[in-house]
Amino acid sequence: MRGLNGLLRSWSRGGCRLLSTLSDGVLPSNLVVPADLADSSTIVKPSLEGPDLSVIRKCNVAIPSHLKPGQAWLESLRRYEDERLGLVDLHPDVFTVMPRIDILHEVAIWQKNFKRISYAKTKTRAEMRGGGRKPWAQKGSGRARQGSIRSPLWRGGGIAFGPRGPTSYYYMLPMKVRVLGLKVALTTKLAQDDLHIIDTLDIPTDDPQYLVDLARYRHWGSTVLIVDVNETMPQNILQATANLKTINLIPALGLNVHSILKHETLVLTLETVEFLEEKLLWHDVRYTPLYPFKLPYSDFP
Amino acid sequence: PGLLLRGFQSWFRLRLQSRSIGQTENVPPQYPDIVESTEEYKFVERLIPPTRIPSPPKHDGPTPSGWRPPQEPPPALPYMVRRSRMHNVPVYTDITHGNRQMTVVRRIEGDIWALERDVKEHLTQISGKTPLTQVNEVTRTIRIKGYFDKDLKSWFMDKGF
Repeated sequence: MRGLNGLLRSWSRGGCRLLSTLSDGVLPSNLVVPADLADSSTIVKPSLEGPDLSVIRKCNVAIPSHLKPGQAWLESLRRYEDERLGLVDLHPDVFTVMPRIDILHEVAIWQKNFKRISYAKTKTRAEMRGGGRKPWAQKGSGRARQGSIRSPLWRGGGIAFGPRGPTSYYYMLPMKVRVLGLKVALTTKLAQDDLHIIDTLDIPTDDPQYLVDLARYRHWGSTVLIVDVNETMPQNILQATANLKTINLIPALGLNVHSILKHETLVLTLETVEFLEEKLLWHDVRYTPLYPFKLPYSDFP
Repeated sequence: PGLLLRGFQSWFRLRLQSRSIGQTENVPPQYPDIVESTEEYKFVERLIPPTRIPSPPKHDGPTPSGWRPPQEPPPALPYMVRRSRMHNVPVYTDITHGNRQMTVVRRIEGDIWALERDVKEHLTQISGKTPLTQVNEVTRTIRIKGYFDKDLKSWFMDKGF
């Protein structure tokens, strides 16, 4: 229980590094560490003279008075060294919620299954060709009594309890559960140091190798998901990521739990952060819908 | 009806011919064009409901229902219980099997076990016996055996949550 409290405290502090949860800094002998684990304590970053600790972006939505905002560095894709341009405040009710892994599982499984239609279908004994006549008389032949040549016992007969027709696995999780799933995914990325905030998507060249080298220089991880609010993005980054499989661009409306968990690093622009905060926090203060939200309301676009 | 239709068609052809003759003489049309007016739409707009729940108005003194706003700033305790979206204290009753009565406290932040200790102590003072409680650290809720919603709601409001 003490370990759980410690983990939760370090989670709320905004970091879940491998060594800081242990007091003496020595790894236990039964811990199995994967060879490619990116542990931030072994990575040596060049120390700067005096990083600018001013908060560049404050939250537009009011933060409850008993909570402190989560923080992340503002970076830029323009140059390799633009790593710590300032601090960005992140709303605690979106970026530091309880780490509900069960909700992440629910939403990820829902995303995988709700689109599934299985087209498997087998014929029953009624649908098989033939099999209307009794093959031999009930008594006297010495063989087992049989009613039709297409019963499931027979070779070439119908299937007894097989898949019947296209089956749909469609179901919808409540809207608030899906919203909470997004919040928990963003929280997880921030807590595990995999969330980066950039100012714009401008890059100097349209060479895909630039982005790959930048991600490797900044130790971002093998897969990167870059999110912007608009669908129209600068041509350079579109060209650069067009043929890259590990670095992907999506608009903010396409953000989903499966993509966040699939990619190791999540990179958001400042406008995306504002958009996400506004949309995800609205669900905490809205009425239950009188009629679907796609119809007009007075304060909902 | 067939006769009427043929009669109408011949009348229409005559009108068309008279119209084509009339355009050269600039005869004003008998029927004006359709004009769309959007001034009455304000009566519709004020009926469309909003989506956001408004914050409650400021009351001087107690309200008739006994509702009190949360204390500003929140009390300096190791735990925090946030209000629901309708600004109520998040204490709910639950019943299963027709006779298993429970009280649920939701939306707890901070040290849950300290809150559980305080809740148990308070309910022991009230009822004389210690109620059974269940703490769910993942969902941040406390479930108490028995109906204690009124006591807990007033206790939380006295504390300032």
